[in-house]
Amino acid sequence: MRRWTIAVSVALALGAQAISIAQTAPDFSGTWRLNQAKSSRAIVGNTPDIQFASQLEVKQSATDISIVATSIRQQPMSAVYKVDGSKVNVQAPEGITETGEAKLNGTMLVITSRRSFSSPAGDIVVDFKEVWNRTGNELTVEKTRTQSGDSSTQKAVYDKL
Amino acid sequence: MRVILALGRITVGLVLATASLQAHHSFSATYDGNKPITLRGKIVKLGWQNPHAHIYVDVTNADGKVVTWEVESAGPTTLMKQGLRKEDFVGQEVILKGFLAKDGTPTVNASSFTLVEAKKEFVNDEKAP
Repeated sequence: MRRWTIAVSVALALGAQAISIAQTAPDFSGTWRLNQAKSSRAIVGNTPDIQFASQLEVKQSATDISIVATSIRQQPMSAVYKVDGSKVNVQAPEGITETGEAKLNGTMLVITSRRSFSSPAGDIVVDFKEVWNRTGNELTVEKTRTQSGDSSTQKAVYDKL
Repeated sequence: MRVILALGRITVGLVLATASLQAHHSFSATYDGNKPITLRGKIVKLGWQNPHAHIYVDVTNADGKVVTWEVESAGPTTLMKQGLRKEDFVGQEVILKGFLAKDGTPTVNASSFTLVEAKKEFVNDEKAP
């Protein structure tokens, strides 16, 4: 009787642990560097289709996720998102206004943002959607850019440093 | 005399090399990756030279003002590999996607463009088959 009770207790404990792991939010913390070889060919070189950061610095807590995106010779962009999907202001270079929101969706982080800036063609508005997925020390970011009714999507892979 | 000629050749070589280097700059030095742009307009002039072809496009803004944009594209060899010829351009309506120049001028680096009537599309080197 005692052995049977112990076995059931162990089984319940293991089951609870498995459920707990399954429900744990994915962790994107760390420094991530773009792996050009594994990314879409259209994002590298002198004529990128969609610009991706060459490095991401990510800090994550239960409620927030802080992202600093840097690229060579480009002004960095950063934001502290609330993972409940609230809208926040993105720290953008002078002349660019951007708001965004992030939400954890299962194992993925989904960030949507709207960027606006002026140009010789008038005011420009661009919408972005990023879907982040981490597998071990690899982070995949699928980014969709929508502008003037036209959309394109590219994929970047980052390695954890 | 030979020394003077040799020095002259070296000088000409250096001048040409410098001009080539200035023409073949990196994307990140000249263009702002944070400012993607899509434009639609009419091609009014074509600079069909290496290392980059330059397409001049008249774009009408929402307020009716026409602005001539300079669009940096791939070189003629790359364009021809994708079935585009010099004759395909001038007078054509084009939709282009690219990135604004950092200096605020109406200059853009094209990652792709479509010649509307001819239904011919150019994509950047890396996306090309």
